[in-house]
Amino acid sequence: MSVALQCPRSSPSISELPLEERRGSYAMWCVIATESALFASFFAAYFYLGNNKARWQVDHPPKLLIALVLLAILVSSSFVLEWGKRRVVERRYAAARFLLAVTIFMGLVFLVLQAYEYIDHWKTLTPFSDSYGSIFYAITSFHAAHVIVGLLMLAYVLVLPRYAPARETPFRPYETVALYWHFVDVVWILVVLVLYVIPNMIAHG
Amino acid sequence: MSDVASIESRLTELWETPKTLRGWFATVDHKELGIRYLVTAFAFLLVGGLEALLMRIQLSRPDQAFLSPEVYDQVFTMHGVTMIFWYASPILTGFAVYLVPLMIGARDMAYPRLNAFTYWSFLISGIFLYVAPLIGQAPHAGWFAYFPYTGTRYSPSRGMDFYALSLIFLTISTTGAAINSIVTILRLRAPGMAISKMPLFLYSTLTISFLILFALPALTAACVFLELDRQWGTHFFKIANGGDPMLWQQLFWFFGHPWVYVIFLPATGMVSLIVPVFSRRPIVGYPYIAIATILTGLVGFSVWLHHMFTVGMSDMAMSFFSAGSMTISIFTAVQVFAWIATIWMGRPVLTSAMYFAVGSIALLVVGGLSGVFTGIIPVDWQVHNTYYIVAHIHYVLIGANVFPVFAGFYYWLPKMTGRKLDEALGKCSFWIMFIGFNVGFFPMHILGLIGMPRRIYTYQSGLGLENMNVIVTVGAFVLGIGILISILNLLWSLRNGPLAGKNPWNSDGLEWETESPPKPYATVHIPTVISRHPLWDDYEEESDPANDRILDEQRLTLVTSWLDAEPTSIATIPKDTLVPLILAIVLFFFFFALVFQWLMGALLSFLITVLLTYYWLWPKPAEATQ
Ligand code: HEM
Repeated sequence: MSVALQCPRSSPSISELPLEERRGSYAMWCVIATESALFASFFAAYFYLGNNKARWQVDHPPKLLIALVLLAILVSSSFVLEWGKRRVVERRYAAARFLLAVTIFMGLVFLVLQAYEYIDHWKTLTPFSDSYGSIFYAITSFHAAHVIVGLLMLAYVLVLPRYAPARETPFRPYETVALYWHFVDVVWILVVLVLYVIPNMIAHG
Repeated sequence: MSDVASIESRLTELWETPKTLRGWFATVDHKELGIRYLVTAFAFLLVGGLEALLMRIQLSRPDQAFLSPEVYDQVFTMHGVTMIFWYASPILTGFAVYLVPLMIGARDMAYPRLNAFTYWSFLISGIFLYVAPLIGQAPHAGWFAYFPYTGTRYSPSRGMDFYALSLIFLTISTTGAAINSIVTILRLRAPGMAISKMPLFLYSTLTISFLILFALPALTAACVFLELDRQWGTHFFKIANGGDPMLWQQLFWFFGHPWVYVIFLPATGMVSLIVPVFSRRPIVGYPYIAIATILTGLVGFSVWLHHMFTVGMSDMAMSFFSAGSMTISIFTAVQVFAWIATIWMGRPVLTSAMYFAVGSIALLVVGGLSGVFTGIIPVDWQVHNTYYIVAHIHYVLIGANVFPVFAGFYYWLPKMTGRKLDEALGKCSFWIMFIGFNVGFFPMHILGLIGMPRRIYTYQSGLGLENMNVIVTVGAFVLGIGILISILNLLWSLRNGPLAGKNPWNSDGLEWETESPPKPYATVHIPTVISRHPLWDDYEEESDPANDRILDEQRLTLVTSWLDAEPTSIATIPKDTLVPLILAIVLFFFFFALVFQWLMGALLSFLITVLLTYYWLWPKPAEATQ
């Protein structure tokens, strides 16, 4: 008798169900999870290599200023992108596209500025000088590679022909890519914290 | 009735891959890809097995010169790497890719094209690995490749570059497959298959997919560092400039131990499905097994240092990791006792599949026990790097992976091919494998205890090692013959086996609701489920008076909520495409260029990859219009 009660109650409504459109973001969440583990490994390596070292960039912590400027650029670009996402929901596609372009521009500025920072660093530190140099450049350039991939994704969404065909599916790419961009952003916050702020704090007491 | 026939033909037309050359390369059908996964991984088992036999010939008598020391190093490395990375895990992925959608009543995986891509990149990364011995520069540092031996100083050839880059390549494939499994299992289950009613195999596959997401990146990081050190002059592992070779070990084992569960848990999941079917009763302690599976995965992250007890660490750390290792054995014991109780309380039917399942339980107990020993630190110090460890890993790997895989073959091949295997040959194959295995590997415990080190290419006579080494070699060959018999059995059954019918074993799982072999669309109506044993209850899974769950407008399948499996939406399934294959080939060139430090080539392949990915993701007109 309980069998009838347990029967799935769904049958009448199935033909009215909407099309599934979240698979992109599920996959993106998984990618973010595994990429977080990747960066965690890199940070773990940073601490592991720094353990027992007399000199771990405490006497020469990397300069803070540019990193903070970079941080400001990246974080605000995330907000711009989020703003654009809202416009898509409101179906104001031109505005959305414009804000997306602004985000890409900010990402490019980030890369240029980071290149400038690298040139500055290179005078005193290279990946070949010691293990600190290796891990420092590994983490930052790996992050830069993620920025580049993020930009490629944003560019893809930028050139997508339309945002709302049947049932508006392509709203989702915007959302999915935004997830990734925020992730790249958060990683940079951690990079700044671990590689720049903490050593500077230790150095200056 | 003609109505049903027309529905069926419409569904077939929608789902079937054309039998053309393009169709063969372009298919995204999970059944097709699952079988390819199984065949490819099994081929790697045979290759690795041949390498093992070469080693055993060399070691059968003292002071032999069948393999030179250099070649021996390469052979055991290729053996370990092939078995661990290209056989043991992919074969389980193969089962998952084939079975998961059928078990949950979905028509394909959540990302069918990704599925094709992960298959092709698995195959092609394996080919990539085997390019190394073909050009005479095979890796030679064992499957866990400790630095400094892997540095350019001691490994000047490109072998270790092939090792590192092929692993990174495989990582992409494995991660993709894990993502695919996670989303498929969580979102595509048939209505009513709440998470508490999933077959246990899904629990283990889900657990290991999460393990893969969180553990594999450590390997990627380690391999990236290794490549940078070897080819681009950095100092991650080189002591002289502040690097630390222990960093490799830490990263590798942080990945490596969870990996042991990746190749172990799904196999136990298969045993948990097979044992109850042939005990003719539901499994004992379903929730305990499910929880033990998940806990094994979690705790699996906190025991990696037990591979490094001999390296030296604080007593605190040692005790912690020793205790962790002990804890894990509790969870494994829960599963073992549940199986034994199931057999005990049921009415066992001794088919070949059951033989292999029970055999695996027995071997697992031996392997687990020798594992408990090595978890005890003083014992570990004694047996580290001896044949005792070789015995232990093979009891665990063969007991907990190869035997369940064979059980799985005897159980599910009738579903895949439509024909049953020969039972007598199957049992014969089992006994030969079982005896061969124990004759071949049990003496290794003793060899190890009396001091034979692993990874040596020969030993002197007069050390008291001769007799047992002969026995070991004979056992290895007997094991090989046993495997061969099963292969012949399969080939024979493809033509002559008795027809299996829908449900030859009277099983409970949804996969047995389909024809054997299943139609491209699996079932006409997406099934609904009300119990853990859909085919054992009285409820008609496919009953669908309103014809609501046929979904034949295009390739569609049902999406449900992840806990209760209430229908939430309908997912489109993409058409066949060649892009995944091309992408995997381009990646081959990418990694090839990296091995030879050809940056332009790498950059070019990267750009092609980006363009291909754009093309892949570009919304297709047909998909956009509903
Ligand atoms: C077909 C039967 C097999 C035989 C006869 C065999 C034999 C051997 C032997 C003799 C060694 C020791 C080499 C040495 O230390 O000098 C070895 C190592 C190893 N085997 Fe097997 N094996 C077999 C199957 C497997 C399977 C199925 C797996 C995994 C799923 C596996 C995984 C390994 C690993 C990981 C090592 C360690 C390699 C290293 O030291 O780096 N073997 N095997």
